[in-house]
Amino acid sequence: MESNRYDVVVVGAGISGLTAAGAAAHRNLRVALVATGPGSFVSGAGWLKAQDIMRVSTAPELREAIAFFCEMARFAGCPFEGDISAARYLPTILGDFQSVALAPLLLWHAEPREGTSTAIAGIRGLSSFDENFMAERLNERARTISPGCTYTARQISLSRDLGIPATTLRIAKYFDRDPGFRAELIGALRSAASGFARILVPGMLGLDSSAEQIARFERELGCSVGEIPTLPPSIPGLRIFHRLESYLHKIGVELFRGFPVQKVEIHDSSCIGLQVASPGHPMNLRCESVVLATGRRSASLLGGAYAGHDRQMRPLAATGSVVARNLFVAGSLLHSCADNDSDAMEILTGYRAGNLAASTRGYYAVR
Amino acid sequence: MRLDDSAIDNCLKCSLCNTVCPVLGVHPQYPGPKRLGPELERLRREGVPADTEWVEYCLGCHRCDLVCPDQVSVSEMIARAKAEHRKPLVRRLRDWWFARPGLLGALTTILPALSNFVLSMKPARFLMSKLMQIAPQRKFPKYTRPNLRTPANIGKERPRVLLFPGCFIRYNQPELGRTAIDLLERNGFAVEVASTECCGVPAIANGDAALARALARANVRSLANRVDSGLRIVTACSSCGHMLKTEFGGILEEDKEFASAAQKIANSTFDLAELLMAQLDAGKLNMNFQRTDLRLAYHAPCHQKSQGIGRPWYHLLRLIPGVTIEDMDAGCCGMSGTYGFKQEKYKVSMAIGQELFESISASHPQMVATECATCQMQIEHGTTVKTIHPAEVLIQAYDGRRSN
Repeated sequence: MESNRYDVVVVGAGISGLTAAGAAAHRNLRVALVATGPGSFVSGAGWLKAQDIMRVSTAPELREAIAFFCEMARFAGCPFEGDISAARYLPTILGDFQSVALAPLLLWHAEPREGTSTAIAGIRGLSSFDENFMAERLNERARTISPGCTYTARQISLSRDLGIPATTLRIAKYFDRDPGFRAELIGALRSAASGFARILVPGMLGLDSSAEQIARFERELGCSVGEIPTLPPSIPGLRIFHRLESYLHKIGVELFRGFPVQKVEIHDSSCIGLQVASPGHPMNLRCESVVLATGRRSASLLGGAYAGHDRQMRPLAATGSVVARNLFVAGSLLHSCADNDSDAMEILTGYRAGNLAASTRGYYAVR
Repeated sequence: MRLDDSAIDNCLKCSLCNTVCPVLGVHPQYPGPKRLGPELERLRREGVPADTEWVEYCLGCHRCDLVCPDQVSVSEMIARAKAEHRKPLVRRLRDWWFARPGLLGALTTILPALSNFVLSMKPARFLMSKLMQIAPQRKFPKYTRPNLRTPANIGKERPRVLLFPGCFIRYNQPELGRTAIDLLERNGFAVEVASTECCGVPAIANGDAALARALARANVRSLANRVDSGLRIVTACSSCGHMLKTEFGGILEEDKEFASAAQKIANSTFDLAELLMAQLDAGKLNMNFQRTDLRLAYHAPCHQKSQGIGRPWYHLLRLIPGVTIEDMDAGCCGMSGTYGFKQEKYKVSMAIGQELFESISASHPQMVATECATCQMQIEHGTTVKTIHPAEVLIQAYDGRRSN
């Protein structure tokens, strides 16, 4: 029966919350995701830095968790690629190379390749993306990393008003909605790319676009396209978030967006539900288990009661006993992760917490 | 909000509000919620002239508020700037009427047949476009003489609720009001129809803060005693529900006489589906649904999302055997009450709705269900697919009949 009763409620829609909700939903449980903002991952480039993963590479289940995340991202139409034990390089808007382990496919298209001539297309009027500066610096650095890989700056003009100031956000929104704009962009990029093996553009190819849509765009352009993430809000980061969120929605996760959780209801060491601070009167969600993935910045829902956690990621009270047998924490909220806080740990802890929470009985599963 | 309110400092300029703004996606020059809200608000508070025509283009959809990680009331700041904004005379006159659907309804329903005839005439619509800048492409809803009353045989033993009818139910769709009463009665409630004013959403949307406050006071006066005696208020219109729950408190915040009563009213207000879902949770929902073979598309109105109650109508409709329902999840419809009727905003309104129209066309539903009356108008205008309130589907499933 469908009502406000869930097997698992996840609080927080950062990368760990999304992973936890996905892990529980893949076990055919009835899952709710409660969140205000989308977490910090979307502000970033959308990739997982190699050094962050290497530092935690011995963590048990890391490989499994990352594999799960990549699978979920693929189902969501924004495939992640890479290997947690191999560092590769991707260009940044500062004309540097970042050592990356995992990234969305479209960012990998910008990977330096030996002996490849690459055009970097700037957009006239778009600030904070300087193709000349980037090409000069990347050529310098590519000599050691990828000999014979050369970059040439190009600029394209678009007839469309891109706002004052012009932003990649506006370009991305046009890209999503307007076939005429995509056609014009293809035309402009085609002439800029002529004579080059591929073309790199600022991260701007749609907030919602799927891998298929991008592949179609590349086919029409007749040339490989790579994205270089820009300043926040970074379109590649937002795209992952949008795709994952609508994927979770599609597989039956109920989303409660916009209002924080005001109370975690605990009785006899058991969490029986949550109160969401909806306007007027709180919205009560009943559940079998809860994953808190609210990050470090949000006010703690556990108050002063949180003094570390046990091996099953359950928070401990000052007395050393678990706060609730069915309450789990994930992401940067976990105290012990403080020194190796990274996106890889977010995925790992989200995956673990989602699975632990999912090992409840599944009363309200969608059958 | 008070001038020394420091909530504005919660804005970290992360631009997430801009990423969800429906207008920013279709209007190249629209500065977006971050600029019109917190950024210009800092100047406005310092007394620096920062008035801009763009505040008029805010839909009031509250999507920016919902995505903000730090609960900054972006759209409330824009709404206050809108109230300060000075409009040219013709638009001022037009918006004066648009802010008053109650008055408009009362006047047109003196002779509803005549009003409907005049409003549907091409020459009249041409004149309204020339003289009042009302989009000639839009059709006005049909007006009906108000005839929604508290049922005579109201049950004495059952828990009583108060139906807040709202202008659209009162003057355009009294049958929806009767459907709401019927649904509540079939689920164990006794229903009394409240005698209230317009909720005030159109007043805020058209920049008339004084009117919004006057309406809020009048409504609080009429509802406060009833709520004190333990009655719950039920709305079948998502905008009325949004207003009672989220705005009354803010509007009357500094009004000693009304502030606490407004808060109590907010606490006691429920969307019709929210109340039915509570019955479901308590195992008390009447489940005698007849099989109804119907393929529906569902659109969640913005003012339903802003209430933070999940998707109760979507889940209720899924309980009916034979009904298949797909949540379009395709953003704002672009109508936003009177916004879509404004000639200068018609194109923006339709461009925003495009994504939803395309999703509906791709889903090939027999009908669209959405609980907001103006979303219904916009969807029928943009897709020609029949669009109804989900309560109508539910009541037909109880009766085992289907309308076409």
